[in-house]
Amino acid sequence: MVSVINTVDTSHEDMIHDAQMDYYGTRLATCSSDRTVKIFDVRNGGQILVADLRGHEGPVWQVAWAHPMFGNILASCSYDRKVIIWKEENGTWDKMYEYTGHESSVNSVCWGPYDFGLILACGSSDGAISLLTFTGDQQWDVKKISNAHTIGCNAVSWAPAVVPGSLIDQPSGQKPNYVKRFVSGGCDNLVKLWKEEDGQWKEDQKLEAHSDWVRDVGWAPSIGLPTSTIASCSQDGRVFIWTCDDPAGNTWTAKLLHKFNDVVWHVSWSITGNILAVSGGDNKVTLWKESMDGQWACISDVSKGQGAVSTITDTQQNEQ
Amino acid sequence: MAARWSSENVVVEFRDAQATAMSVDCLGSHAVLSGRRFLYMVNLEAPSEPPRKIGRQSKWDVGTVQWNPHKSESHVFAASSNQRVDLYSWREGCGEVHTSLQGHTRVISDLDWSWFEPEFLVTSSVDTYIYIWDTRDTRKPTVALSAVAGASQVKWNKRNQHLLASSHDGDVRIWDKRKPNTAVEYVAAHLSKIHGLDWHPDNEFILATSSQDNSVRFWDYRQPRKYLNILSCQVPVWKARYTPFSNGLVTVMVPQLRRENSLLLWSTLDLNSPVHAFVGHDDVVLEFRWRPQKEGSKDYQLVTWSRDQTLRIWRVDPQLQRLCVSDMVEDLMEDMSLNVETDKSLSSQEPESQHSTGPAAGNLQDLGTSLGSGLPQTLQQEFSLVNLQIRNVNVEMDAVNCSCVVSAHFGSHQVHLVVKFPAQYPNNAAPTFQFVSPTTIPSTMKTKIQKILTDTSLQKVKRNQNCLEPCVRQLVSCLESDMTQEDGPASGPFILSNPVTPALQAFPRVTNMYGSYQDANIPFPRTSGARFCGTGCLVYFMRPITMHRSVPPSEPTPRSLSALSAYHSGVLTPMKMRSESQSTLRLYSGSPTRSDKDTVSISSFYYKERKSRRFKTKREGTDYGNRSIKLAGKVIIQEISCLLPVHKALGESYILNVNDIQETCQKNAAAALTVGRRDVAKVWALASAATSQDLSPDPDPDTETPWARHPFGRHLLETLLDHYSHMSDVQTLAMLCSVFRTQAPPPDSYSLYGQQPSRSSMFPPHHSRYSSYCSSSVTSGSCSSTSESITATTWNTNPDINPWGESSPDDYRYGNSGYTDPREREREQHDMNKRLLDPANTLQFDDFKKCYGEILYRWGLREKRADVLKFASCPPEPHKGIEFGVYCCHCRSQARGTQCAVCKRLTFQCAICHVAVRGSSNFCLSCGHGGHTSHMMEWFRRQDECPAGCGCHCLMQSTF
Repeated sequence: MVSVINTVDTSHEDMIHDAQMDYYGTRLATCSSDRTVKIFDVRNGGQILVADLRGHEGPVWQVAWAHPMFGNILASCSYDRKVIIWKEENGTWDKMYEYTGHESSVNSVCWGPYDFGLILACGSSDGAISLLTFTGDQQWDVKKISNAHTIGCNAVSWAPAVVPGSLIDQPSGQKPNYVKRFVSGGCDNLVKLWKEEDGQWKEDQKLEAHSDWVRDVGWAPSIGLPTSTIASCSQDGRVFIWTCDDPAGNTWTAKLLHKFNDVVWHVSWSITGNILAVSGGDNKVTLWKESMDGQWACISDVSKGQGAVSTITDTQQNEQ
Repeated sequence: MAARWSSENVVVEFRDAQATAMSVDCLGSHAVLSGRRFLYMVNLEAPSEPPRKIGRQSKWDVGTVQWNPHKSESHVFAASSNQRVDLYSWREGCGEVHTSLQGHTRVISDLDWSWFEPEFLVTSSVDTYIYIWDTRDTRKPTVALSAVAGASQVKWNKRNQHLLASSHDGDVRIWDKRKPNTAVEYVAAHLSKIHGLDWHPDNEFILATSSQDNSVRFWDYRQPRKYLNILSCQVPVWKARYTPFSNGLVTVMVPQLRRENSLLLWSTLDLNSPVHAFVGHDDVVLEFRWRPQKEGSKDYQLVTWSRDQTLRIWRVDPQLQRLCVSDMVEDLMEDMSLNVETDKSLSSQEPESQHSTGPAAGNLQDLGTSLGSGLPQTLQQEFSLVNLQIRNVNVEMDAVNCSCVVSAHFGSHQVHLVVKFPAQYPNNAAPTFQFVSPTTIPSTMKTKIQKILTDTSLQKVKRNQNCLEPCVRQLVSCLESDMTQEDGPASGPFILSNPVTPALQAFPRVTNMYGSYQDANIPFPRTSGARFCGTGCLVYFMRPITMHRSVPPSEPTPRSLSALSAYHSGVLTPMKMRSESQSTLRLYSGSPTRSDKDTVSISSFYYKERKSRRFKTKREGTDYGNRSIKLAGKVIIQEISCLLPVHKALGESYILNVNDIQETCQKNAAAALTVGRRDVAKVWALASAATSQDLSPDPDPDTETPWARHPFGRHLLETLLDHYSHMSDVQTLAMLCSVFRTQAPPPDSYSLYGQQPSRSSMFPPHHSRYSSYCSSSVTSGSCSSTSESITATTWNTNPDINPWGESSPDDYRYGNSGYTDPREREREQHDMNKRLLDPANTLQFDDFKKCYGEILYRWGLREKRADVLKFASCPPEPHKGIEFGVYCCHCRSQARGTQCAVCKRLTFQCAICHVAVRGSSNFCLSCGHGGHTSHMMEWFRRQDECPAGCGCHCLMQSTF
């Protein structure tokens, strides 16, 4: 059954804007308007404050854990226009890198799949998206997509490195030719897909369906199927599921998941890519699942502020 | 500030009022305090009498309340509550709502009665409209001004009945109600939000604006580009209003410390320092109003209401009023020369002010003498009242000897300073400052500080003001800034958490994080969110349930951060104040928070539910502490793995025994049953049946159709895979693919691929071939290698050597092109046909395994992951480390792998046994000789020279 396994009192002095656990689910990072990022050890239902990271001069909007193969690395972005990459070394967290190349609030950070090395995408209200690549020896290579979204970029999310449908274009025997791709959403109401070609980032697709600012995008993890799936949510209260069966990635079809009464701020995919968690201005969290016939249904509702995710159906696992 | 402890007249506490707004009627007889549940009518003649109450039923606080300023309508007052204005009438000790004005669609930020027409009321709202109402026809507003931007303040001109001003973020608009289409004038007044707006009482063109940007600015709206004058403060200014007597201005600051004096009286002619501070309130002053002057009285009375739940009435006597008419006439002239019109208008009122302060001037002598006689006491009083709770600073005061010692330590530096006060102090006599040992700061700095202190003190004593506190604060900020410079950027962001008093730190750099015009394109922050993490967790956080949105739930959450400033204006004033004092409270209690905190935070958008009044404790202090409402909710981690199609328990119990597929299937079916996956149990049963020995395909393509071609063969499996793909059950997918992959083709099929039957699927390839971050098996730099991994690298170039039981599409392709013999092609075809998994989809099946491997890794089941990945045929990553080239020992051509492509012989021989090496081998990186690993180990156990006899000291040169 669905059960609460831990309730962490973060002691942040202002509202929390993001919470995320690391790869193994042993540590929790939170960030808040009180300008701090906190890391908790949450193993076995405990909550030990491991680090209280100070360095931002404004509210911290989002955090992102890097893949553990690179060590314990956390990125955070803030209203203060900075992106800070923190690293744990010998048990203490320190700044590894501070990126100040944006001219307005940085709203979203997302680490790329580990196959690409340590690469971070940052979306900012100055309209640009930065891609920071660790080149070793404390060096970071910065690529900037200027004016990626007019007015501002609100969210970035990487495509999984397992490129579905790679069957055809993949030259035999070589390392699968993973193309770096990510999706972004912005104040131009657009969802945009980007891909790297010859070391340059190019706009690949422009998906239009939202009627207001796109607040979050999430590229679903792949389980090896030749379908790409992206979820996007917006100020207009709509959540769209975008799918592409075309191996070339050119034809995307949108499906409306639901129209909420208030802004939808966040979408998150489960590891198998079949459940979507949706949260927004109505202070509710809902879980959505695609049925066998392709319809999206709400399977649960995290009741207001307290209580557990109560599953509406618990039978889906016994489907024959 | 001579009169600072004597001007307070009346203090009345209304502990339960929780009022958010206050107004004084035009007769000066009543003040109304508006709480959530009651409006309290305070008789100003006898303020300590229990107030009368008017009940109200609303979940909204009163935003603004204002009495009608006309004597004829003096019983009427208006109170805004969310989108509505209620008009109350108060007669004979009873009050009631006699009508309501409804028209705004969003919260009303301000309202103001016309000074000329008693029936006219103007309201401003976040909904961007400004409505002028005629209270005789309340159905709809008589005039609607569309401002496009939400307004925070609206005020009628006091001299011109048609004009009004409204503030929108940092802008001011001037309207003529006869021309409602567009504003008459725009004034880009401030960079940050304007909190207060006030028209000059006598000049119809002049107004004062107070703003978040720490300043009050004075404007002639006909010259919107340049302000007439500026009053710079170190903290945001909440309200600035002209006094009813000339040249005075009262400001309420947004204090950084709760105890700081936030209510100040200024002379508009000299804005360098306030002429008076109204000291007494323990908390934020929410509202202040002038009580109309009584007949024959020279005193004015200021009525103030504070969050400390006290109403205070301050007497502003003619002496104090006179302070506003500073003797700095040259300053006046300087100010006024900016603007001829202003000059005129002000000079026209000059005689009037002279007149009004005339009697006061007569008292000047008395004032002077009273001050003179009180001198010794003044120092004592200063000592006892001084607020010097600054960290790292200690002040020892000796009133008898008129001196004090200030000791401070900052970082490695110590400062000891003796301050000696002359007998005349503070009457134009400055104290002296002297550094004494053990002061450790350099002498240049000493000189600098001494100069600053002397200047500061002189400035103060010139006006008969105390200077100790300002001087000490100057000293601290001086030291502070110097230390910061000294420390430099090395100490980075943490410099700000250095031990300094929060208040002081706030002064030099209060950052107005929010409220700038750039915020318009920054998305409104998330206050709730949910994220799937790890494999089976959902992490979510929400706004605490005690935090409510200040707007009705029907209204959507704003999209941009700039909405924040508009939202907490007007009606939300008390909320904002509350959150501010919340943060200042934390600062005060010495929490490690950064002190230059935003005065406006995202939490300002949400109002915090009051703790039920029943639980209110008696003592205000503790009450305050108890009321610390959590702004951050809890983060909840929920186990949701039951919702996922993959099961950790299955991951643990599934087995992949390549030597006994039947057993594997049966055990896995049992495992699936234990976790309740009956469907998967049946699938395993089917798998068991399909992999049965009876069905193993005949090697001869002619004998029978292989089972794979049967409807229950490949077709069934494909249907199953399709089904589980839809369910996203990557676990079942990967396991099925692995099991059916191991389904061993009959032995003779190896003959087709020739060389290495030993490497059939019965012996899965070494798993390190899969690029793996856990074992980081890309053995760069090591000279040990196995022939197996060499084969792996040759995999793409040499289709003949295919170690796989299953083949990739490449093999398929190559196979078709490579074997021209029809018989072989048929067998090849047959080999494809007899497989249950369609070889064309191998890459996809590999992806399943890799994805499942990833999940197993997250579960910590590394061995299981390795088990599964053994069955992935994915080509390895290109070798990233050092690659060892091999030259064929026979033909000297470069070869890859163990067999030379040119002469078809095995490429190298062991230096010891001279037999070709196929298996594990080691070489010296220096001389290139080597051989079988076991031989090499044996040799070098005893020797350190190369076995080939080349004389190379291999052990010294490289590591074996």
